[in-house]
Amino acid sequence: MVVLGSLLQRLAASQGYFGQMPRYYGPQIRGGASGVKLSLDTTRASLPGDAPDIMVCFNWEKYAELEQELRLGTDTVVLYDSASSKGSISLPERAFPVAFSETSKESVGATSAKNIVALGLLERILALPENPPKGAAVQDQASTLLERNSLALNAGRRLLPESPFPELRLSPPRDPSPKVVVHGNSAVAQGAMRVGCRTFFGYPITPASEIMEEMQERLSQGNGVFVQAEDEIAAVGLALGASLTGAKSMTATTGPGLDLMTEMMGLASSAEIPVVIVDVQRCGPATGIPSKSEQSDLNHVIYGGHGDAPRVVMAAYDMEGCYRLTIESFNISEYYQAPVILLSDQWLGQTIVAANGDFLTKDYPVAHRKRPDPKYGERYQRYKLTEDFVSPMAFAGDEGLTYQATGLTHNEMGRPSFDFATHHRMHEKRWQKLMPLRDRDELVKVLGNEESGRGIVAYGSSAQCVLEAVDDLGLQDRLKICIPELIHPLPDRLASFVGSLEKLLVVEMNYSAQFYHYLRSQIGLPSDAKTYARVGGLAFSRKELSGPITELAQ
Amino acid sequence: MSEDSSYRTDMTPVWCPGCGGFALLNALTRKVLPNLGIPRHQTLIVSGIGCSSRIPGYIDTYGFNSLHGRAVLIAQGAKLANPELTVIAIGGDGDFFGIGAGHLPHAVRRNVNVTCIMVNNFVYALTKGQTSPTTPYLQRGEGPFLSLRYYPPVDPVLDMVSYSVSTRASFIAQGIATDPSHLAWLIEEAIKHKGFSFVNVLSPCITFDPPWLFKTIKERATYLKEGEPVGLPDSSPEQPWLHDSGNITLALKLAQTPVTEKPHIGIMFRGRTA
Repeated sequence: MVVLGSLLQRLAASQGYFGQMPRYYGPQIRGGASGVKLSLDTTRASLPGDAPDIMVCFNWEKYAELEQELRLGTDTVVLYDSASSKGSISLPERAFPVAFSETSKESVGATSAKNIVALGLLERILALPENPPKGAAVQDQASTLLERNSLALNAGRRLLPESPFPELRLSPPRDPSPKVVVHGNSAVAQGAMRVGCRTFFGYPITPASEIMEEMQERLSQGNGVFVQAEDEIAAVGLALGASLTGAKSMTATTGPGLDLMTEMMGLASSAEIPVVIVDVQRCGPATGIPSKSEQSDLNHVIYGGHGDAPRVVMAAYDMEGCYRLTIESFNISEYYQAPVILLSDQWLGQTIVAANGDFLTKDYPVAHRKRPDPKYGERYQRYKLTEDFVSPMAFAGDEGLTYQATGLTHNEMGRPSFDFATHHRMHEKRWQKLMPLRDRDELVKVLGNEESGRGIVAYGSSAQCVLEAVDDLGLQDRLKICIPELIHPLPDRLASFVGSLEKLLVVEMNYSAQFYHYLRSQIGLPSDAKTYARVGGLAFSRKELSGPITELAQ
Repeated sequence: MSEDSSYRTDMTPVWCPGCGGFALLNALTRKVLPNLGIPRHQTLIVSGIGCSSRIPGYIDTYGFNSLHGRAVLIAQGAKLANPELTVIAIGGDGDFFGIGAGHLPHAVRRNVNVTCIMVNNFVYALTKGQTSPTTPYLQRGEGPFLSLRYYPPVDPVLDMVSYSVSTRASFIAQGIATDPSHLAWLIEEAIKHKGFSFVNVLSPCITFDPPWLFKTIKERATYLKEGEPVGLPDSSPEQPWLHDSGNITLALKLAQTPVTEKPHIGIMFRGRTA
């Protein structure tokens, strides 16, 4: 099913269609239930609606496992494999058994190409041109797959002479130029490569492994260092070691791995070593639901670890942001010599998006570590107290600048100190150096009617659901929405957004309303401040969010 | 200017007088680094947490006193990112065989060119005398350790030296703090070895170990010499064999000799290079 969705998305993207395709799968090792929901759009990569226009099902038994995530609407056109018994599932009016398996068997001798048969049929229904325009060829792997299965594809096309549902024909895309097809995890890896990260250390974990796998592929041609470590402590430890020599280093994980990385986050904070940690959040606690999204690591990434260790927390809310904010996370980490945690989530990481590729080619500023003056006259002080609290950093290997650092409380030389005043000054240094980040207005998006006194704050993939729901309800003029991409330290623009409100709604996906409480701990909230927070495992639907959002607007 | 001064910082070690840490410090700053002629800035010493892990502060190279058990990680990351560096990881028995024991076999099989020096003092000394994974196993009342009078070790010794041999670490040596010159030679060989090298330094704690431990180890130590018969404990039924550091099976037999019965000092095994 994922192959069918991917092929259709790529075919459509090659002709200029936008779209998003979240992936749904269960705890299986191989096989088992899997599904996708694909939106095709002529103007922007919108989220798929609550109920699909067309539903293709090969196996109703497997569908039952994903039913709560893939609800049918009364108007949905359902095309299901005639070989699968629908059991007790009640289907909408326009539900048709189609001989997917049988046609596949007739054309290629096995039922395995039923997804290609379905692709041929969908091409017809959607009225996609059979031969994509030249120069807009679908990506190699996909076209090879289609060539190999051309018999099945044509058999699928022959199932219908023409589109039987005129309302399901796609309008022509506004801009027929091909769209890039990228998921958030891949965007993170591509952003890392773009900003010059050439040392990556990881440990496999769902749903973050794709970042590691892509970095492995990209760094395996002898142009960098990739190590699959023995655990997440090792992954981030190796990254810190590489960073000491000046390398831009990174690791990626999710909740359980982040737990193990916590002691190294403290060390990176104390010894001021740049490192970027990507947290593709999943349902917790403990093992939770590995394959489903949640936003429940916020407390951990802001506060996790002992002893007052400042760090920077960023959060992407869309695929393009996964790319751009990976670059930004490195810039901040390198410049401020601090650990930066970039939050993503399963939904964001694994949803495949067809989008304009401009963001991949445009220029991004690249920040560097402050370096000691090579003509350094006096003895080099690794943790010299400067005006902006950022000390020039020598790389292990730099001539004439040797220093000895430690995770113990240390003085400007990096030497252990048990002195109260030094302890205080070094805390102040590490916290204060991050304060200019509060002024980074461009890392806080504000949308809707800026004059309104009613506002929503949301971050991560939930923010996309909020935007779609507000759009659907036509409330853009009565509300404003704030999406912070910088979470910690709390940006001023977010504070002033909240400060301008009479009514606030915080939308987030975790039981205890972590983000709401974080805001409350940092700034005054309007007396009418509500939270819509619930556990993950199921994406927010438009319908679900319409209640709290409508209430806010009233 | 003495040769020592170019590699020592002006910091005074925190160690107790007579501590084996001084032997390692002298070996590194007076012999190893000057003999190998490695520029200070091309050397990185990473340590964990414990008495011996204070050593980077005393040596004027790049140094990082990191986290308990994690020195070998940071060392490997640095070496991989900048292969020009000579990278040494230093820690104690708690570091490498206790909290960080999970990392050691992976460093061994990864075979990154890092020299790992374990200062084995047989006890948790910085925390004032608790048992460590290498504390000799004694019955209650049998030659009690100073601070372990009422709580003697209850678990057998974790023998990671033989474990390292069995996982085919590419270079394994054992030195003794009472012979800094020989120790320096071992470390030089370890650094010159292209691959992961592990040097176990027998350095019983003079504060928290019973005096007999140091005395016994010192008295019973024998030096391994290539091609010459190895020393065996009196209790051993085996006939001494000629030492061959290229033979992993013989190395395993050496490593499995209880250190209180016959400490083998020298290069136990030298295998594949990276």
